[in-house]
Amino acid sequence: MATDRTATVTWTGTLLEGGGTIDSVGSGAFGPLDVTWTSRAEEPSGRTSPEELIAAAWASCFSMALSHGLAGAGNPPTSFSTTVTVTFQPGEGIIRGHIAVSGTVPGLDEAGFREHAEEARVGCPVSKALAGIPEVTLVASLA
Amino acid sequence: MPRIVRKAEATWEGSVSRGAGTVTAASSRAFDALPVTLASRIGDPDQKTSPEELLAAAHAGCFVISLGSELHRGGHPPERMELTCTITMDEVEGQGHQIVASSITATAHVPGADDADLQAALAAADAGCSFSSLLKRAGADVSVSATLERED
Repeated sequence: MATDRTATVTWTGTLLEGGGTIDSVGSGAFGPLDVTWTSRAEEPSGRTSPEELIAAAWASCFSMALSHGLAGAGNPPTSFSTTVTVTFQPGEGIIRGHIAVSGTVPGLDEAGFREHAEEARVGCPVSKALAGIPEVTLVASLA
Repeated sequence: MPRIVRKAEATWEGSVSRGAGTVTAASSRAFDALPVTLASRIGDPDQKTSPEELLAAAHAGCFVISLGSELHRGGHPPERMELTCTITMDEVEGQGHQIVASSITATAHVPGADDADLQAALAAADAGCSFSSLLKRAGADVSVSATLERED
């Protein structure tokens, strides 16, 4: 079954002096959130950006895929945390993604954890959608 | 222009079907520890965000900036734009779950521009938006449309 998710944004004025707002998302979970060119390209100053939202999508997608893989192999995790860093080069696009995950998984050694993390890095839907990023790296360790 | 680096964090506790996670905008702290679950990702959102909703917000934010830049470049800076993005995830036979489509619809108030100006800017924005390009390379169907907002 297909799943649709929606977001609406408005922008007023020019790129450099104007600004935008992610007014609402379908779930109502967040918004309005301000976005501006300056906060995208320089200091965030409390404002999100497309790159940060991609990092958030990726971190949450990767985490679900990893928990699914671990549980499927008989090693459900107690907990773990994932940090995704996205690097954007204006004029080129997203040039790098880095996933760092650390967690507690009873009965699994570090090599096993790394293997499942690598599967999630390759297989989660957001990773597949972002497969064109030239450099994607992963560091996985047990806490 | 220097590189832009942005970071987000997710946490997860327990199995995918019964467990739950959170997602945080780590660079800006614009949102903090929003809950995510598998059930709300694929079924009723139940006021929880999801990876696909975050992608929709990212693509909308990226594209609105591209469209504004292209209108400006064409000599018609927009006064106001409103844009909605819908991301679709589906199960593709033999390939598991994938992002299969992103659909963007925009309305723009652009003094002095006609529909041909807007459509030219839209096509350039679609070609120039790096996130659109990534989604297309991954096989997703990216569709964009825009209409001029009439002056009241």
